[in-house]
Amino acid sequence: MVDTTAGIAPRARFLTRERIIKWAPLLVLGVLVLLFPFFEWLEDVRAGDAHTYLLDSRFFSIRNAARIGISATPALMVAIGVTFIIIMGSIDLSMEGTVSVCAVIFAFVFIAWGGTVLSWAWLAIPIAMLVGAAMGFINGLVHVKLKIPSFMASLAMGFVGTGLALLLTGGDRVRVEDPIFRSLLTERWFNFPVMVYVALVFLLIAWFIQSRTTLGRNFYAVGGGEELAHASGLNVERVRLMGFTLAGVFFAVGALLAVGRIGIAETATGNNFMFVSITAVVVGGTALWGGIGGVWNTLVGVLIVNVINNGMVVIGLPAFLQDAVLGILVIIAVVLSTDRRSVSFVK
Amino acid sequence: MSFIKKFIEQETTNRRDLLLASAYGLGGVAAAGLMGSGMARAAIADPTIAWSYRNRTNPYWNEIVSGGEAFVESLGKSKDFLTHLINEGSSEKSLADVKALLSKTNGDLALAIDTNDAPNARPVVEACVEAGAYVSTLWNKTDDLHPWDFGDNYVSHMSWSDEGPAEQTARVLLEAMGGKGGVVHLGGIASNNPAIERLNGLKNALKDYSDVELLDAQPADWDTQKANQIMSSFLTRYGDEITGVHCANDTIAYGVLEALRAEGIAGMPVVSYDGNPQAVELVAKGEILATVFTNPHWGGGITAALAYHAAVGHFKPSEEPEAHREFYGPTIFVTPDDALDFKAKYLDSVPTYDWTDFWGPSNGQIQYT
Repeated sequence: MVDTTAGIAPRARFLTRERIIKWAPLLVLGVLVLLFPFFEWLEDVRAGDAHTYLLDSRFFSIRNAARIGISATPALMVAIGVTFIIIMGSIDLSMEGTVSVCAVIFAFVFIAWGGTVLSWAWLAIPIAMLVGAAMGFINGLVHVKLKIPSFMASLAMGFVGTGLALLLTGGDRVRVEDPIFRSLLTERWFNFPVMVYVALVFLLIAWFIQSRTTLGRNFYAVGGGEELAHASGLNVERVRLMGFTLAGVFFAVGALLAVGRIGIAETATGNNFMFVSITAVVVGGTALWGGIGGVWNTLVGVLIVNVINNGMVVIGLPAFLQDAVLGILVIIAVVLSTDRRSVSFVK
Repeated sequence: MSFIKKFIEQETTNRRDLLLASAYGLGGVAAAGLMGSGMARAAIADPTIAWSYRNRTNPYWNEIVSGGEAFVESLGKSKDFLTHLINEGSSEKSLADVKALLSKTNGDLALAIDTNDAPNARPVVEACVEAGAYVSTLWNKTDDLHPWDFGDNYVSHMSWSDEGPAEQTARVLLEAMGGKGGVVHLGGIASNNPAIERLNGLKNALKDYSDVELLDAQPADWDTQKANQIMSSFLTRYGDEITGVHCANDTIAYGVLEALRAEGIAGMPVVSYDGNPQAVELVAKGEILATVFTNPHWGGGITAALAYHAAVGHFKPSEEPEAHREFYGPTIFVTPDDALDFKAKYLDSVPTYDWTDFWGPSNGQIQYT
């Protein structure tokens, strides 16, 4: 995690307030991972079955970790994309449309050019990422050049994307059956499918961009104080444009993994990504007002959301309670993981 | 404010026409048109044909409307002749659009409509009847609203009961499970009527299979990705206890099959519903054991056809039996044995339907419990 609390004096108290807040998301994740097995234990003990806590847990197992990994990876990519935007203090709500368009275009090109990774069809992968970049770039242009708030600009671009995807497919689903592409899901290394490792690589790339490039540092500069950054000679508009373009690329990677996961590209591929990714970013401790947080926070946030979703089914929570519990857990996670004392007002 | 004045005038004229038409009595005696020719009420020479529905992004509604277009083309018109009223899931918009079109066409309208929710059916029907238009409804209406209470203008209502067919797929599933083990159900949006009926179908079938346990039923909101995640969570909770999966529709089944594939589980019995082309292919391969086709293309076409043919006077709805005014739509059961035949007949090329055979493929009069 990036140290945004520079200036802690040496030999300071170990448990400073900043430090607790910084690690709170991970703490929440840890508590959740131990909480769900507890409910399993409780259920079995009540039923009079032998159950050793954690050891007999179905939730706390490698196989379930892989399942959570599979459900988390596409959302992680999308959430990383939007993390950069939120660090800048803007918001990007175009992910559902962008993911759908990238998924659909990828599937069309992939099938038209051979339908297997071993032919020219592999070019569909970079093409999808270019499409994502283009969508993000246009999104950024609308926001920066037309001076429309990012909230509205990106929401509108999202609708454009969904419409475009519908136009391309005519409401149909496109199946991507290539066994090599689908090995993203079916091939496993050390119990985890390949898509998890692909996501890990992109996570590291995102971390590199965030911490080792000028662009990454500029995101924090813009988010921490736009006027100041502007006055220091930073071309804020350019940073914003590049941020939205970069987000588009990560949305495209998310789309590719989503298609890899279910083998279908359709207008609905983008569904639910907005809620999951924004929630994950915020729960992970990246502040919506910008300048704080980063991709590791997002990783923890995505895991929290997916662990909750998986765990609620695993402990057999009735369906009508699940949405309510998710909402309450999100509020608790945000309360614990963001430093709100320094913020004088919230809008 | 002249447009309001005009609207009121139009409404008054419409009402006067209706009164006159009733005064002249039966037999298609035309009321003298006060606003030009073609105001005959008992039969409309060339009515506007309209379909009012949610939107086309959903494959199901896309099929419905394509049936409506096929019907219009069968009349020798271009498919653009069909007027689309898109309510985007709003009953208020649905009603407002119908009223606007009634006013624009002066009541010369043959309307096929899903009113979006059941309570909205009554105002829509009443507006049409008052304007002398002809309306056929699909899916939504309240149980106390019947076509035969409105003479000829409320032509027909068609709906589907999913409980029986879902029970049939469940029986196929339970047989494939050898009559023992555990079954999980992945449903649609919990409050949707078809979702409730399809789960009930499974529960009805389970009464005859005491050795099979319904392990869990969770709503997957008709969504492939959500179904995928829920199925993998089910695998964590129940593991090998799951020996069969009952899905509320095909899109859910796709997600379930991928969750099973991710775990390397092959040969798990799965059944679904809706008869989408890809699902039928999976049935042919034996990956899905059964699905149910409700022929939305035919449903969309015949609903428009009924309203149209009643409007032009080809048949008189009030002389038809009640079973011809309120009836269930077709359900065709697809299993691995007949999947290829089914695909060739219904999916590879859309059959050309006889749009005057109104009740042939239908499924009996609607029953109220």
